[in-house]
Amino acid sequence: MRALFGYLLVAAMMLVSGAASAHPHVWITASSELLYAEDGSITGVRHAWTFDDMFSAYAVQGLESKTKGAYTREELVPLAQTNVESLKEYAYFTFAKADGKKERFQEPVDYFLDYKDAVLTLHFTLALKNPVKPKQLVLEVFDRSFFIDFQMAKDNPVKLVGAPSGCQMKLERPSDGTATAQKLNEQTFTDGPNANFGMMFANKITVDCP
Amino acid sequence: MKSHRSPLLRGFLACAAVLLVIGVADAALHDVLAQNPFGAPKSAQPAEPEAGGLIGWLLAKQSEFYRQMSSTIRAAKSDGSAVWTLLFISFAYGIFHAAGPGHGKAVIASYLVANRETARRGIALSFASALMQSMVAILIVGISAWILNATARTMCKAEGAIEIASYGLIALFGLRLVWVKGLTFIRALQAAQPVPAMAGVPHDHHAHSHHQDTHDHQHHDHGHAHHGHDHVHDEHCGHSHGPTPSELAGPGGWQRGFAAILTVGIRPCSGAILVLVFALAQGLFWAGIAATLLMGLGTAITVAAIAVVAVSAKDVAARLSGARDGGGALFMRGLEFGAAALVLLFGAGLLLGYIAAERTTCF
Repeated sequence: MRALFGYLLVAAMMLVSGAASAHPHVWITASSELLYAEDGSITGVRHAWTFDDMFSAYAVQGLESKTKGAYTREELVPLAQTNVESLKEYAYFTFAKADGKKERFQEPVDYFLDYKDAVLTLHFTLALKNPVKPKQLVLEVFDRSFFIDFQMAKDNPVKLVGAPSGCQMKLERPSDGTATAQKLNEQTFTDGPNANFGMMFANKITVDCP
Repeated sequence: MKSHRSPLLRGFLACAAVLLVIGVADAALHDVLAQNPFGAPKSAQPAEPEAGGLIGWLLAKQSEFYRQMSSTIRAAKSDGSAVWTLLFISFAYGIFHAAGPGHGKAVIASYLVANRETARRGIALSFASALMQSMVAILIVGISAWILNATARTMCKAEGAIEIASYGLIALFGLRLVWVKGLTFIRALQAAQPVPAMAGVPHDHHAHSHHQDTHDHQHHDHGHAHHGHDHVHDEHCGHSHGPTPSELAGPGGWQRGFAAILTVGIRPCSGAILVLVFALAQGLFWAGIAATLLMGLGTAITVAAIAVVAVSAKDVAARLSGARDGGGALFMRGLEFGAAALVLLFGAGLLLGYIAAERTTCF
C-alpha cells in the first residue's frame, strides 16, 4: 500500500513537473486596432505590444545608442527586424477567424520599436491575405506554449478603425483559470480537432457586424 | 521480512507498477507529443490543459514571484534593504519553479530509481546540479553581457546551443542507462525463467573477481580503466542481489554522479538569465548573482525533496516485493529499466521539441 502511494506520488510529481514547465517568462501588454477598408471589410490588425521591463532590458542588452539608457527608433531598427522575423514562426501569436473560417496574415509591415520608460513597445501591422467582410470576426492573441503571457491593455485594448456603424466589439480576457477552463471544455467539444489547450490564456476579441 | 507476500499485496504492487508506467509514460509522451498537439508546426513547451487546482496555483505563484523580481531589483538601487526581499523572492521562486524536465527534476528522479542510488546521494546530486545550473547562467551573462557586451541575440544563440547540447546529453545519458539496465533486465528475465535465481555461482565469481581488479587497477591508473570495470561489474551483479550500501558508496560513485550533474546542470534557466541581464542593466550585477544563487538553492530543495520521494518509494517497493527473490528482483530490474527508458524519452522529447520551440527567448 505504501508502495502504491509512493508510486502515485512519484507519478503525480512527474506529471506536475511536465506541466509546470510552461510558465511565462515574458509579459506583453497588447493593444490592437482592427483596420477596416471603406467598403466595411476587414483588412488587417495593427498591434502595439509593450514588453515587461525585464525582457526589455534583456532585449536592448549590448545595443549601441548615442545616449546611454535611451534608444531611438532608428537605433532599434535591427532589433525590430529580428522581432518580426522570429514572430513569423509563431504566426505572430495572432489567430483570426471570419465566420468560423481561419484567415491568414501577410508578413508584417510598418514595424518599429519604441523605447520609453525603460520598456520596449513593438508596433506592427498584419494585413490579412484576403480582406474579409464577415458577420462575426474572432481574433485571438495568445502564445499556446505560454512562454509569453499576453494581457490586453487596461485602457483602449481594442480599437475598430473605420468599422461600419453597428459593429459590436467584445473582449474576453484570460482572467482566472477556472472560468476559462470550463469554457474551454465546451469549446474543445464543439471545435473538435481545431481546439487548442493554450487557448485558455487567449485574449478573445469578437466583432459582430450586422 | 522478505519471504511470503500475500497475493493481494502482489496485486497491489502490480497495479502500482502499471500506474507508475502509465504516469511516467504519460509525462514523457506529453513532452514528446505536446510539442505538436495538433500537427501545427509552431507549438513550444507543453501547455497544460488543467491550469486550475494545484498546477494553476503553482503557475500563479511562480509568475507572482518572478514579476516581483524586477521591481525589487530596481528598488535595491536606492534602498539596500530591498536586497533581502530580492533574496527571499528568488529563493521562493526557485522552490516553485523547480519543475519541468528542462530543470532535470524528472531526469534526476528517474536516474536515481534506475541506478539504485541512496536518498543521500539524491540530495547531493540535486544540490550539485542546481548549483551548476546557477553557475552556468552567471557565467553566460557574466562573460557575454558584462565582459563582451554582447547583444541579446548573441547571448540567445549561445543559450540555444547549450540547450541543444543539454538535451542531447540527457538523451545520451538515457541511452547509456537503457543499455546497461536493459542488459540487466534481460539477464534477470533469463535467470527468472529456469530457477527463481538465488545467488548463483557465476555471479559470485564475477562480482568478486571484478572487485579485486578494480582495486588493483585503481592505484595505478584511474578514470577510464576503473570506469570500465565498474561498468562490467554493474551488469554482472545486477540481476540476483540487491544493492548493498557499499556498492553505492563505492569507488566510481561520484564519477557516475558527475555525469548526472553535468547532464542536468548544464542547461541554464531562462528566468535566471533574464534576471541577471536585468540586474546588470540596473548596475546591480552582484544582486543578480545573489538572486540566481538563491534561486538555485530553492530549486535544489524542491528537486531534492522529489529525489527523496522517488528513492523512498522505490525502497518501499523493493522491500515489499522482496527484491532478493526471483520475481521481486525481476520486478525491480524491470522498474529500473523503465526509469532508464524514461530518461531517454525525456532527452529525445526535449531534443525533438527544441527544433520547433524554445526560440522565444531569442525574439
